[in-house]
Amino acid sequence: MSDLTEVTAADEEPAEASEPSGVRAALRRRLTETTTWTFLILLGIVAGFAALRFQQFATVFNFRNIAADASGLLIIAVGMTFVIITAGIDLSVGSVLVFSGVIAAKVMLAIGGGGWGAIAAGLVAGLVAGTAWGVVNGVLVTKARVPPLIVTLGTLGMALGSALLITGGIDVRGVPLQLTTTIGIGQLAGVPYVVIIAAAVTAVGAVTLSMTRFGRYTYAIGSNAEAARRAGINVDRHLIKVYALSGFLAGMAGMVSLARFATTTIGGHSTDNLAAIAAVVLGGTSLFGGIGTVLGTVVGVFIPAILQNGFVILGVQPFWQQVAVGAVLIIAVYIDQLKRRAQERGERR
Amino acid sequence: MRRRWLVGTVALALLLAACGGDDEGGGGAGGGAEQQYSLTLIQGVKGDQFYVTMQCGAQEAAAAAGATLEVTAPDEFDASLQTPVVNAVVAKKPDAILVAPTDTQAMIPPLTQAKAAGIKLVFVDTTTENGAELAESEIASDNEEGGREAARSLAELTGGKGSVLVINVKPGISTTDARAKGFEEEIKKTPGLKYIGQEYSNDKPETAAAKTTAALAAHPDLVGIFGTNLFSAEGAATGLRSAGAAEKVKIVGFDAGPKQVEDLEQGIVQALIAQKPADIGKAGVEQAIAALKGEPVQKKIGTGFVVVTKENMNDPDVKPFLYKSSC
Repeated sequence: MSDLTEVTAADEEPAEASEPSGVRAALRRRLTETTTWTFLILLGIVAGFAALRFQQFATVFNFRNIAADASGLLIIAVGMTFVIITAGIDLSVGSVLVFSGVIAAKVMLAIGGGGWGAIAAGLVAGLVAGTAWGVVNGVLVTKARVPPLIVTLGTLGMALGSALLITGGIDVRGVPLQLTTTIGIGQLAGVPYVVIIAAAVTAVGAVTLSMTRFGRYTYAIGSNAEAARRAGINVDRHLIKVYALSGFLAGMAGMVSLARFATTTIGGHSTDNLAAIAAVVLGGTSLFGGIGTVLGTVVGVFIPAILQNGFVILGVQPFWQQVAVGAVLIIAVYIDQLKRRAQERGERR
Repeated sequence: MRRRWLVGTVALALLLAACGGDDEGGGGAGGGAEQQYSLTLIQGVKGDQFYVTMQCGAQEAAAAAGATLEVTAPDEFDASLQTPVVNAVVAKKPDAILVAPTDTQAMIPPLTQAKAAGIKLVFVDTTTENGAELAESEIASDNEEGGREAARSLAELTGGKGSVLVINVKPGISTTDARAKGFEEEIKKTPGLKYIGQEYSNDKPETAAAKTTAALAAHPDLVGIFGTNLFSAEGAATGLRSAGAAEKVKIVGFDAGPKQVEDLEQGIVQALIAQKPADIGKAGVEQAIAALKGEPVQKKIGTGFVVVTKENMNDPDVKPFLYKSSC
């Protein structure tokens, strides 16, 4: 723990240094190296499973399914990356996902008819609902000054509770069939639509974070919020935007889930928040803020997804899967820490 | 320095994967025999005694038929978590999959994909809306019959005179609703018993307790309660104890997991309607193998129930039907 703090403190130094361009280059070098690192672990895992069960594991069919199954989590994790880089956290994503799905399904059913009009209205309503929860999170974090952990723990309960109130605790079904047959299980040139959506979200997220002012503000606030404020950044407004983005993406993941399963899957998202946080951290993002990449998060999403898939294929007892995924999380972050520490020493010399 | 790290990481990953391989080698039956069918059972949720008992029955039947059986399950009873598991199993291409679908609609796409991959499907306990098309065979308890069985037990326990109540879970659960429906039909056949309707516990013991005490106040002649699941029955018992009516009112519960059996031993409930999950698993394996051999299959199989009481729970013909935590 103390090592972790030490590293973060060291990482913050450059942010306060006087020469921004050199700092950015140094920072970027470090970030890409971190990502490469976890990527090697991912490759190692893939190689391991492929070596053991090539014909079952290393097929287009299998990778297509892994990608489709991971699409929802990937969308959530992209939003979570932004939040964690600001040194915040969003525990409410799984509940917001369910809430958005419920709103979308209810709107589609209320309009009825099963046409694309109803579907579009439902999707918009779901995305608005998700964004609204995000704005609530952001406002409470910035204006009410309640810590993000507490705010989003509160909205986790509120969003899920509201969803249960609306549905009476029973999954909403009967959404228009076209939604499932096209977006849900349809493919474009062999790639499922849900994977295309997730890839597009990831690409936009990666570009926004690394190349736009929005991204630079996000890093700056996470490195040192006070410094960012003094540099003229409207920190509160930016944080509200970041939480709104996380809510919006949770809503989008809810739409993807609704399209895939044609039902609201109320019971299936209680650990989505932790899965997303684990993916972000696996991807090299610092929980203390200021450091992280969307690309790393992609790798972090796929490590547990591929482990689960491979373990089922190997026939490992189900409970071991949880143990192994947890162990890999710790090992990966530990290796990352060791490496960063070695690098710190090298730089100081 | 850097090279060493790289090698270390890859070696670690390979080691992890290799550990998995060892596990499978140790657990699976030895290969070599000709025409050895590979089956996979996908349960509704990990670690549930109902499914564990089903697994035990399936493993016995698979061993008897010389087939291999692997078992896997999602963390929660939910379609969004079961789908990746089904997809991974399909990638592995076993000859047949026994599966308890967690949603009648949402599990249709992945299971359709499984069938399209040439894998025979057998549905155990739960099913999908188009189960008759997708599965070679659907095997489940007849929950209405279970409710009727509960009504007969309660009539016997109470001496057939007074008011009876059902504590159900919540509306819209097909299995518990069917139990309540069967109970309602059958209880009317005992003229001395007055059915005063059902209350919902929302799967919370404290709600069940509150509803029970309220029902006692409204109906002082209450003599029997049927709790359609674990928490409904336990909550009803708590309500009776706090109202001092535990002696006078009998409770019939459902399922025979370790917790329910403990309640039975302590006299908290007087009878349990046990399903036969091991029979479901056994029939599932038998039907899957019949389908693989091209022999005729039974499209629908309804398995029966056993009434467990404190008196008969150790009888050799009842004891095997108590649910197991491990095989």
